[in-house]
Amino acid sequence: MRHLLAATAMVLASATLAAAEGQLQLYNWGNYTSPELLAKFEKETGIKVTVTDYDSNDVALAKVEAGGSGFDLVVPSASYVPIWVEKGLVQELDLTKLPNHKNIAPEWLDVAWDPGRKYSVPWQWGSTGIAVNTKVYGGDINTSAVFLDVPPELVGKINVVPEMIDIVSLATMYVGGTACSDDPEVMKKARDVLLAAKPNWISMDYGATERLSNGDWAASVNWNGSTMRARMATNGDVQYGYPKEGYPIFMDSVMLLQDATNVEEAYKFIDFIMVPENAAMISAFARYANGIAGSDAFMPEDMKTAPEVVVPEEHKAAGVFLPTCTGKGLEYMTAIWTELQK
Amino acid sequence: MAKPGFEINRLPGFATIALGAFVLLYLPIATLVVYSFNGSNSVATWGGFSLHWYDKAWANADVKAATMRSLIIGVSAAVLSTTLATLAALGTTRRRAFKGQTFIYVMINQPLMVPEIVTAVALLIFFGILKVATGYQGLGYLIAAHTAFCIPFAYLPIRARLESMDLSLETAAADLYASPWQTFRRVTLPLLAPGIMAGAMLAFVISLDDVVITEFVKSGGQDTLPTYMLGQLRRAFTPEVNAISTMLLGVTVVLLTAFFLLTRKKD
Repeated sequence: MRHLLAATAMVLASATLAAAEGQLQLYNWGNYTSPELLAKFEKETGIKVTVTDYDSNDVALAKVEAGGSGFDLVVPSASYVPIWVEKGLVQELDLTKLPNHKNIAPEWLDVAWDPGRKYSVPWQWGSTGIAVNTKVYGGDINTSAVFLDVPPELVGKINVVPEMIDIVSLATMYVGGTACSDDPEVMKKARDVLLAAKPNWISMDYGATERLSNGDWAASVNWNGSTMRARMATNGDVQYGYPKEGYPIFMDSVMLLQDATNVEEAYKFIDFIMVPENAAMISAFARYANGIAGSDAFMPEDMKTAPEVVVPEEHKAAGVFLPTCTGKGLEYMTAIWTELQK
Repeated sequence: MAKPGFEINRLPGFATIALGAFVLLYLPIATLVVYSFNGSNSVATWGGFSLHWYDKAWANADVKAATMRSLIIGVSAAVLSTTLATLAALGTTRRRAFKGQTFIYVMINQPLMVPEIVTAVALLIFFGILKVATGYQGLGYLIAAHTAFCIPFAYLPIRARLESMDLSLETAAADLYASPWQTFRRVTLPLLAPGIMAGAMLAFVISLDDVVITEFVKSGGQDTLPTYMLGQLRRAFTPEVNAISTMLLGVTVVLLTAFFLLTRKKD
């Protein structure tokens, strides 16, 4: 018993030293941070990084907003970046401390949610598209019609991931509108298309990597990284389509918290992950692209050529960053989604 | 006692419904356990028997650290909450009924009634203020929070035990010139011990399983086993999570069995 108390006291005491020399507190999505990357960083700088997990943007935001979270860095999705800035939860980055800031690829520098990258630097990015088993369906897969106007071969065999923003946005762009539109005409059309297509879907579920690989589903609206794994598991039968009507791109970016205690260490880490070789380590672990120019050379062989990771030139233009949806647009979106779930 | 013709297990469909309920309850758990022994890296396609994922979970430093943390919090919360619950149970049963007793009873059991997310958000805000004011970020917050919601779980079996214990034994001890302390130490406490043990084990299991409150209260580097597993959700699960779950399930089953054996009425 005495030993237990002593051990407990030690744990309690050591935890108060979070702001000590050579520490860094990273608050990131679970299973998203390469352990090799952290080991290399510790070896080079002597700074030990502690990773704490979250599983949604909202939880991360709520915890930090409550104050005293003790974290230094956080990795929100693009549409949440402006919210963190607006609420004053993050610091503007001192770019003179980040010599590797110049490595950010030009297309990721002047992004709508953080022009000039004054608050955030790229962690990883990917897209939502359509995965199709080409043995079952040989037609054009680079269109949302695959799930919104289901071809006969795929009727009752296609899945749709239950992600409101991705799915409603794909439908809105399919009918010629812009994502998160507040035009009732456009949203009405998107609703009709979705409701008409739904009877042809097999399910609205997660787990596409598995079910595409074992043939349960012949197609699914899906993320690129997951589709890449399904393609490799099926020897190339499963292919990834980029809907030409428009498809959502997501990116998670690293931000420095306003109440960070290990600020110098945080700058070192932010600069470290913008070194191409290190950015490639992040990608190699989680299987998404990273947004740092020159990192391709260090990528694992199977990712260098993957059409899911390296977006083919002809499909680049259709990629859309989803705006932070508010007001009427969000209201319509939620209403459509609720109706679709019935 | 039941009226003739109204025994529930004689009603038509009883067996079917009971069977269905058991299948729904236990089939998913059985599937989870089976796939923890999967040879491939899938949680849904069988690839031969293997202990690979147990190996992997065992070698995973994050899992180890989270397990240690879960145990430290669980044991601390169990000890503290059981001590408090024992005192509360003695105070509410070993005396004549008093005004406001029901009110106190409800207050003690409040964590059972209030939705967990409400407590979690309240603690998030409250501890947030404390963390800023004191600069202390340690495990103390998690232990305090877990202790608080474990109290009713420890309290109920202890109180039940006390209520079934005959007060005349303590009265007899007092008649034989035992001091109140001697009576408590030699008569009440030994009789109460199974209830206390049961309460402590239940409290430990409840603390070990908690997700919502822990997720909101934890500071940097304080992932427990359940919040660590929750964090894996966004990327594809591997059977490693099944292996961890199965081990967690094993610990829970052992403790609940012990709880059952300790609280079982001796015939």
